[in-house]
Amino acid sequence: MDPANTLLGKMLLDEITPVVMVLSTPLVEEACLKNGLSFVEMLRPFCVFNNIDVPVRTVSDQPYRLQKFKLRLFSASDIREPNMEVAKERLKQVITQAGEKDDLCSDPPQTSKLLTSSGSEIQPSWFEFFNKELIQTVSFSDHEAFDHPVACLLVVSSKDEQPINRFVDLFNTNKLPSLLNDGAMDPKILKHYLLVHDNQDSTQAKAAKILTEMRNTFGLSDCQLLCINSSPTELVERQDNPWAPFKSDDSPSQRLGCFLNTDDVNEMKDLMQDLSSKHIIPCMEQKIRVLNQQVSATRKGFRNQIKNLWWRKGKEDAADFPNGPMYTFSSIESQIRVLGDYAFMLRDYEIALSNYRLISTDYKLDKAWKRYAGVQVFIAHSYFVGDDLVVNIMPRNETTHRIKLSCGKKAHGVMISLCIKEMMGLTFFMSDQSRKEAEYCMENAFNTYLKMGSSGQQNATRCGLWWVEMLKTGDQYKEAATVYFRICDEEPLHSAVMLEQASYCYLLSKPPMLRKLGFHLVISGDQYKKCGQIKHAIRTYRSAISVFEGTTWDHIKDHVHFHIGKWYAIFGMYDRAVKHMLEVLACSHQPKTTQELFLRDFLQIVEKTGETFELVKLQLPKLNLSSLKVVFEDHRTYASPAAATVRESLWRSLEEDMTPSLSTGRTNWLELQSTLISKNYRESTVCIAGEEVKVAIEFKNPLQIPIAISSVSLMCELSAVSDENKSDASSSTVELQNDDGLNNSTINRDMSSENSSFTLSEVDLSLEGGGTSLVQLTVTPKVEGILQIIGVRWKLSGSVVGLYNFDSNQMKKKIPKGRWKAHSPSDSLKFIVIKSVPRLEGSIHSLPEKAYAGDVRHIVLELRNQSESPVQNLKMKISHPRFLKIGNHENLRAEFPSCLEKKTVSEQSGVHASSNNLSQTVFLFPKDTLVQGETPLLWPLWFRAAVPGSFSLYITVYYEMGDISSVLKYRTLRMRYDLQVLPSLEVSFQISPCPSRLQEFLVRMDVVNSTSSHGFQVHQLSTVGHQWEISLLQPVNTAFPSQSLMAGQTLTCFFMLKSCRKSLTSKDEISTICPLLERDVRLGSEGSNGPLFDIRSSPLADFHHYERLQQGMSQQGDPNAVDFILISRPLESNITPGASDPSHGVASVRIGTFDSVNSADHLNDGTAVSSAYPSGDQAGWHDASIVDEIKVTSDVHGARVGKSLSLDSVPPFIWSGTSSTRIKLGPMSASEIPLQICVFSPGIYNLSNYALHWRLLTSDDSGDQEGTSQSSGTCQGYPYYLIVLQLT
Amino acid sequence: MASTACFIIVSRNDIPIYEAEVGSAAKREDAAQLHQFILHAALDVVQDLAWTTSAMFLKAIDRFNDLVVSVYVTAGHILSTCELICRWHKICIVPCYFCHRRKSNDTFLCIQYGLYASVR
Repeated sequence: MDPANTLLGKMLLDEITPVVMVLSTPLVEEACLKNGLSFVEMLRPFCVFNNIDVPVRTVSDQPYRLQKFKLRLFSASDIREPNMEVAKERLKQVITQAGEKDDLCSDPPQTSKLLTSSGSEIQPSWFEFFNKELIQTVSFSDHEAFDHPVACLLVVSSKDEQPINRFVDLFNTNKLPSLLNDGAMDPKILKHYLLVHDNQDSTQAKAAKILTEMRNTFGLSDCQLLCINSSPTELVERQDNPWAPFKSDDSPSQRLGCFLNTDDVNEMKDLMQDLSSKHIIPCMEQKIRVLNQQVSATRKGFRNQIKNLWWRKGKEDAADFPNGPMYTFSSIESQIRVLGDYAFMLRDYEIALSNYRLISTDYKLDKAWKRYAGVQVFIAHSYFVGDDLVVNIMPRNETTHRIKLSCGKKAHGVMISLCIKEMMGLTFFMSDQSRKEAEYCMENAFNTYLKMGSSGQQNATRCGLWWVEMLKTGDQYKEAATVYFRICDEEPLHSAVMLEQASYCYLLSKPPMLRKLGFHLVISGDQYKKCGQIKHAIRTYRSAISVFEGTTWDHIKDHVHFHIGKWYAIFGMYDRAVKHMLEVLACSHQPKTTQELFLRDFLQIVEKTGETFELVKLQLPKLNLSSLKVVFEDHRTYASPAAATVRESLWRSLEEDMTPSLSTGRTNWLELQSTLISKNYRESTVCIAGEEVKVAIEFKNPLQIPIAISSVSLMCELSAVSDENKSDASSSTVELQNDDGLNNSTINRDMSSENSSFTLSEVDLSLEGGGTSLVQLTVTPKVEGILQIIGVRWKLSGSVVGLYNFDSNQMKKKIPKGRWKAHSPSDSLKFIVIKSVPRLEGSIHSLPEKAYAGDVRHIVLELRNQSESPVQNLKMKISHPRFLKIGNHENLRAEFPSCLEKKTVSEQSGVHASSNNLSQTVFLFPKDTLVQGETPLLWPLWFRAAVPGSFSLYITVYYEMGDISSVLKYRTLRMRYDLQVLPSLEVSFQISPCPSRLQEFLVRMDVVNSTSSHGFQVHQLSTVGHQWEISLLQPVNTAFPSQSLMAGQTLTCFFMLKSCRKSLTSKDEISTICPLLERDVRLGSEGSNGPLFDIRSSPLADFHHYERLQQGMSQQGDPNAVDFILISRPLESNITPGASDPSHGVASVRIGTFDSVNSADHLNDGTAVSSAYPSGDQAGWHDASIVDEIKVTSDVHGARVGKSLSLDSVPPFIWSGTSSTRIKLGPMSASEIPLQICVFSPGIYNLSNYALHWRLLTSDDSGDQEGTSQSSGTCQGYPYYLIVLQLT
Repeated sequence: MASTACFIIVSRNDIPIYEAEVGSAAKREDAAQLHQFILHAALDVVQDLAWTTSAMFLKAIDRFNDLVVSVYVTAGHILSTCELICRWHKICIVPCYFCHRRKSNDTFLCIQYGLYASVR
C-alpha cells in the first residue's frame, strides 16, 4: 500500500507542509471581515493543490514532479508556541461539542453489529479532529524547521495611506514571531507583496497605480494585486461554500464570502497557485541545493566526519548550556535540520533521511536528546512515506515538537535527540520496507519522551498518536491499543479519549478482544466522568453494556448499570435511569451497604420523576414461580384452604362412587366428568361468578435489607360474554383492570375496581432481609365471561409498581398439581366464569385437633347454603371410617356420654340394626334433605381416635343443584381436618386356659398409661360376642384400689373368662339370654363411675366393626376369638386427690418386707409423700419388683390369698436384700427402691407382702385437703404376680 | 507490606464459579468490580495465549497498573470440547511482594488445581 494513502500518510502530507506567514494591515482585515472571514481564512481554502504539477529537481539533479501540495497560512501573531491552557480549553470544547451532538436516547450498538462494521463506522468521527487538535498543541517549536515559515506574505490594503511604507513597516515591526527574532531561523525569508483592493470602496484605478509603484519598489514578480468584494449588491449564493469546512463555529455558512463573486475566487486561486509554484517551491528547491552544498562541504566525506567527531568530543565539556546546546540558524546542525525538513516537505525523502541520520549522530553526541528524538520521528516518517525514493518528512515535525516540550535543562537536549529519533521512525515508516525500523524509532522516541516526565508529555502524546497510526496501518491493533493506553497522562480528558480509542482498537484487532473493549470503555467512561463529560461517560458505558450482557460477572454488570442509571438521572432522563437501575436491584451478591445504596438511589430517582412507575422487570422482590398455586372452585369446592392443597387424585378416589359421571360407567379415562359440563366449558377451567379464585405465590427478598411491599394484587382481565357461543370474545369488550388509574394512588384503583366486573384483594407485607413470604391473592369475578389472570402487581416502598406477567415460558412448571388438564399453560390461568350457583359451606364443630387414642366424641357437621337456591340429593363420604362415623339424625341433641349408657333392651335392639349399613361407604342423606337459605343442616357425627399418629380426615359432600337450568349439575364440598392422636392407654391381653376347667380361661390384662401427663380412670371391660362371660378374679377394690392410672403407670388385672357357647346354640337364644350374661365388668367403684356403657349400640359397635375390618377379620369371625373393649375416662383434675401445695415438706418413707403374713408386722414409721402421690408410690414398687428377673406360672388367686396358701409349706420365695429401707422423698418427687427376692420353685407368686409406711415430716397441715388429713400412714404392698417357670 | 490478591476460577463460557479475595491491604471500595473487570479483560489474553503454549501456568500475562494477572489453565482446554478452565489470578499491589512469593505461586496453583480436580 502506498504509505501516502494511509491515514498516517495523509496526516503527514496534510500537516507537514510549508508555512507561509501573513502580515496584513488592519484595513485589509476590515475588508475581509465583510465576508465574515479574516484574510488568512479567506485564502485558506485555496492553499490545497491536488494537481499542481510542478517540476522539481533533487540535489542530484534528478527531476520529479510534485502533484499534491499544500501551503499552511498563518498570520504572524499565530506563529508561536500555543498556550497550553488555551489549547486545553479548546480540546475540552471539542469534546463537549461532540458530546452535545451525541444522542443519548439511541440504543447502544450490539456487539455483533460492532464486529461486522468497519473501524471508521464504529469510532466517533470527532476522534480524528481531536487527535489533530492534540497534535497541534505542540506546533511552532524552535527545533522543528517545518513549522518555520518559508515565505512571508505582506498584505496592504489599497486604502492604506502610503502603502509602500506600510509594506516596509510590516516586516520591520517587533511583532514578528520569536522564531525570527531569537535566531532560531533565518530572518531572510522569501517575501511576497500583495495589495488588496476592495471593489466596494472605489475603482481599481487607484489600486493599479499603487501596484505599479510597488513593482518599482519591490521588484516585478514579487508584487500582486488582489481584488475582493466584487459583488457589491447581491449576496452570492453558493452550493458548496469553500470556507464552510474551515469554519467550525456556528456562524451561518451562507454569510461566509457573501461579497466574493466568482472572479474574486478565481483570482484568489490563481494567486495561491502562483505563489506556490512560482515562488515557494522554487525557493525551497533552491534552498535545499544551497544547504546541501554547505552540508556536503562541512560534513560529508570521511575527513569531515573524523573532524566532526573530534570536534564534538572536545566540545563535550564546554557545552553545558542550561537548556542544552542552542542551535542558531547559522549553525551547521540547524542547517542540516532545515535541509531535512525542506526535503521532507518536497517529498525528497531520501535526502531527508540521510540528513536526519547525519544530524541524529550530532545531537546524540551533543546530548541534545529532544532534538534527537525529533529527528528520529522524522526519519521514521521518511521511511513511511518514501514509497519510491520520496521519503516522508513528517516525522521530523513530531520530533521537533517533542524537543520543544522537553526543554527543561538537560531534558531539552534529550528532547532534541528524541525528535530526531521520532523523525527517523516516521521516515522509516514512509518507506515501506523498513516498517520495523520505523516502529523501533517511534517506540524509542516515545519511551524516552515518557521518561522525561511532564515536559515530554505532549511530545509523547503526539509521537504516540503517530505511532498508533503507524501500527494501525500494519493492522497491529492490539499494539496500537497498548500505545493509546500509554499515552494517557494526568489530564483525565485526554486519557478518556485515548482510552476510548484504545478500546476501539481492541475491537478491530484480530480476533476482536471484546472483553478488553468493554474494560477500556468503562475506564474511559470513568475518566470522562472525572472531567464532567457525563454524556460521553454514558456513551462509553452503554457501548460496554453489550459486551457484558449475558455474562455472570455480577460486580461488573452492577457497576456499569448503576453508574449509567445515575448519570441518566443527572440529565433528567429518568425512564432510562430507572431502566438501568432496575438491573442492579436484585444484587444479592453485594454487601449490605451496597444494597442499601442501590436501593436508596433507585428510590430517589423514582421519587424525582414524581410519578408512579410501572415496571415489568422489577426484580424486587423476586417471585418464586414454582410456588404459584391457583385454587379455584368449579364443581369442586373446598371448605378450607387446607382442603385445597390435597392432591386431586385423592379426592377423585374418594368421590368416585358419588359423582354421577364417574359412577355411571365411563368407557375410558379420556371422558372426564366434564361430560356434565357443556362442551363450551370443556376446554377451559371453570369458575363461578361471585366466588373467589385464589392464587398463592411466594415473594422472596433477595437482599439483606428489609423491603416494604404494599398493594400486592393480581392483574386480571375479564371479557364479558353476551353470547352462549362465546369462545372468542371480541376484544372490544375486554376490560383491562390494570389500565385503570395507572398512575393513581391505590385508593383510586380500588374505587375503579368497584365498578369493574371483578374485585381483587390487596395484601401488604414487609420482607425481612432474605425472607420469603407466601402471599394469598384473590380475584372475584362478578359477571360471566372469560377471566384471565395476567399477572401480579405490587408496590415497592410505596413508589414503584412492579408488574409480573405469568404468561411466560416458565409457566409449565407452576401449574398446581392435578388441577389442570392437557391445556397450554396459560389456560390454567384462564377461566370461564359461569353463572352463580349455590355453594355449600361446611364445618365440623368441636372436632379436636389433638386427641388421645381411643377418645370418643360426639361432634356435629354443619352444612350451610348461603344462596336462596336449594341444593338436594346430598351424599357424604369419609376417608377414615375408623375415625369418623356418621350418626343418626335423632341423636343430634343427645347428651354425651350418657347416650351411650346401657338402656333398656328394646332400645338397644333398635339401634343395633344400624350396623348393617356399615358396608356402605357412601352415606346418603335422607331424600328430602334440602339445604337452603339461613338454616343450616346439622348432622351428628361420632369421632373416635382409633390409633395414635397424625391423620388427615377427608370428608367430601356431594350435592346437586335444585335449579336444573344451571350449568353445573352438581358440586362437591371437600373438607379436610388434620388430627393428631396421642397414645393413651395401651392394653394387652394374655389368655391362658384354666387347667381345671375346659370352658374357663384366665385373662390377664396389662394396661399401660403411655401418656406423658394425663391420667385415666378405667371404667369397664366388656367382651364382644354372645358366648363369653367375664368376671373379675378379685374384687375391684383389692385388685385396683385407686381405679385411676396416672401417667406412666401400669395396671395388671386378672379376669376369668367363661365360654357359654356350648350351651347356647341358636341365635334366638342368644338374644334372650345374652343380657343375662356378665359381659361387662365394672372396673371402678359403683358410685363414682356411673352406669356401664353399652358396647352393642352405635357408635361403639360400629367402631368395633371398623377395628375388626382394619385387622382383617370378618364380622362374624372365628367363634373362638374374643374381643375386649376397655372403656376408660380421663381423670378430671379435681378427682386427683391431694394436689396440695407442693411446698409441703419432705416426707420420709420406709419400706419393709415380710415373708409371711405372720411376720408382717408393720415396721414402717416413714411418712408419706406429699399426697399427690397416693398411688404414685405403687408405680415405684411396681418397677422395683420387675427388676427381679422372674417368670411365669399359674397362681390364679388374688394377692392376700396367695400368701395364706404359701403358709403351708416352705415359702416359695423369700425376700432377700435389705429388709427395711428408709428414704426421704421431697415434694413432687419419686424414688425407686430396689427389692430383691429369691425364688425356689416354679409358680405364680404374688409379691405384695410388703408394707410401706409414710409420714409427713412437716406438720404444717393447714392447706391439706382430704387425702392428706393424716400425717402418717401405712400402705400394703401392691399385688404383683410373678410367674416362675421350671428351668428345663 | 500490604498486598491483595483475588482468586477466581472461571469455567467455560466465562462463568466465574469461584471467587475469593485475600490479602492484608485495606479493601478498596471498588475492589470487587475492579478485580472482576481486570480478570474478565484478561480472559481475552488467556484465550489467545492458552493455545500457543503447553504450559499450564501462565505467569503475568496481563497487567493493569500495578495489578498483575497470572493464570493457571487446566488441561481441559486442549480438548476440542472445552472443558472447565481453572484460572488462577494473583494480584499484587507491591511488586516485591510478588517476587518474594513467586516460588510459592506455582505450588499454590498446583494445590488449587489438585483440590479442584478432586472436587470435580
